Amino acid sequence: MHGQPVELQAPPELSEQTANALLSDVLRQERARPVVVDCRSLDDPPVIAVARLLRVIEDGRRAGRDVRLAQVPPGLRRRLAGIDADLLAPADAPKRPRGFAALGAWALDAAEAGRRIVQLIGDTLRVLARPFGQSGVKWDRTIEQMTLIGVRGTPIVVFISFLVGVVLALNGAQQLRNFGASIYIANLVAISMSREMAPLITAIVVAGRSGSAIAAELGTMVVSEEIDAMQTMALSPERFLVAPRILALLCMMPLLTVASNAAGIFGGWLIAVTSLGLPSQGYISQTVQWLYVSDVLSGLVKSVVFALIIGFVGVYRGLNVRGGPAGVGLATTASVVTSILLCIVATAVITAILYAAT
Amino acid sequence: MSAPDEPVLDVQHVVAGYGDRPVLDDVSFSVRRGEIVVVLGGSGSGKSTLLRCIVGLLAPWKGRVLIVGRDVHAAHGREREAILRNVGMSFQSAALLNSMTVLENVALPILEHCNVDPRTAAMLARMRLARVGLARDGDKMPSELSGGMRKRAGLARAMALDPSLLLFDEPSAGLDPITGRELDDLILDLKKEGTMGIVVVTHELGSINTIADRAVMLADGRVLASGPLEEVRAHPDPRVQAFFNRQTLAEHAGADLVTALERPA
Repeated sequence: MHGQPVELQAPPELSEQTANALLSDVLRQERARPVVVDCRSLDDPPVIAVARLLRVIEDGRRAGRDVRLAQVPPGLRRRLAGIDADLLAPADAPKRPRGFAALGAWALDAAEAGRRIVQLIGDTLRVLARPFGQSGVKWDRTIEQMTLIGVRGTPIVVFISFLVGVVLALNGAQQLRNFGASIYIANLVAISMSREMAPLITAIVVAGRSGSAIAAELGTMVVSEEIDAMQTMALSPERFLVAPRILALLCMMPLLTVASNAAGIFGGWLIAVTSLGLPSQGYISQTVQWLYVSDVLSGLVKSVVFALIIGFVGVYRGLNVRGGPAGVGLATTASVVTSILLCIVATAVITAILYAAT
Repeated sequence: MSAPDEPVLDVQHVVAGYGDRPVLDDVSFSVRRGEIVVVLGGSGSGKSTLLRCIVGLLAPWKGRVLIVGRDVHAAHGREREAILRNVGMSFQSAALLNSMTVLENVALPILEHCNVDPRTAAMLARMRLARVGLARDGDKMPSELSGGMRKRAGLARAMALDPSLLLFDEPSAGLDPITGRELDDLILDLKKEGTMGIVVVTHELGSINTIADRAVMLADGRVLASGPLEEVRAHPDPRVQAFFNRQTLAEHAGADLVTALERPA
């Protein structure tokens, strides 16, 4: 049943207050009665006032009132000319899956991501399996990457490792002195650096410096369709972009880890000799006696695993960028966070395995 | 509000350039409300530099740029902001902020420059989007739009604050002929509202013939011909004729490598 229409006057000045007053007038009416807003006073209103009028209509209609305009003067008519009537159509809310459907969608996404990662690793290994010849690794690009990742990264890795060695020695000395075992500082520094700290420091620095750079560079190439262009020319991105970076990381991470070891042990030695008063020769022979090749090797094994993690995470995040420049930013952040997280998980797993084996 | 017949844009004897290299040399023209002026010229003729001068990004060495009667480059700070609020620019690449939805893009200048309720700003933004036929696309991200839709969203943002002067940089560049034509129709439609003066920088002949009331032809930074489109088209200068008839100029044509190699050194 439709009742008699109610007529309301639109105020000549539609400010935020008068618009809200008009809206509450509209909402005060019974649902069954159409509300007609007389716009006679609104000739040539500023565009903000028109937006407020439309808001009143929309809010009224959402609340179930049949709001209409009447006596629309030419100025207002001109303001509304050309605007698509879809403006007031209820927006189709995007359907989000819920409950089991959401779980299923998530699982499908995860499976798809897994498939892409396996494919990426497979394609890269295929390139690495035949390193020489026409379709082999691009060695010039690999050496360029080695320079960027290894040579340019050395100063910061060495500096941080040196300071970690210093800190380890200072902290350890406090405790060991109580037992008159100050010379065991050498063991503490050498073993914790080579088994754990050096590979992890290197991984964190390389993930921040180079993993992010890989994701950002490849992501930008995706956004600007460079990757598409390469594939159209039948040039494999795995051969040109991925393999050189992975290979460079695989070569440089262990080398950086060795440099980190040396710097850390040097830092420990410096503290032991200068501020703890230990004999230099004694510190060195203690280190040589107790640091086993297996300690260094286990660190190097970790660094190789970290290199694979950082490389493939960076490449995967970069190649799967969606949504323009903002997507590149997200991918870069995600690559650093994911690689550091995975490296720490990996070091825990490897350490557990190595202790179980011995 | 200014007098109805006062030009919304008055470029007076502008000389401008980069470093010590002049790109524009004594360029003058004006635009009134309800009028479309097309700035034409080949690549490197100074069209983009002219636009940069008009929107205040590049200060001219000499001359003045008046927008609604006020000199952009003489004003600073808030005064300059107030002048530039009369200008809307539709960029060649649309220049939408990729991290925001289409609606947020259009609402951004409204929220920042007018003291309004966010919901009123959103409604105004939706009005602008509906005006360019994107009523249902406000919640999308710019990367989800096609090239033509992105241009229209950029136009909605340019119109957000009800500008007196609307500038278009190569509106139909990179669009298919039909989408380009639709954009031209939209520009013509906006002209009919009579509240804006419109400047279109382009080199698309089809577009020029459809929308231009008046034309300004630039070559090497100078105004070669200026006036109603018919007059400009009839201008005797060979560069104007070459442009409208899609010919290469004699001096550019003919000298190919084979002739050079066959000629005695």
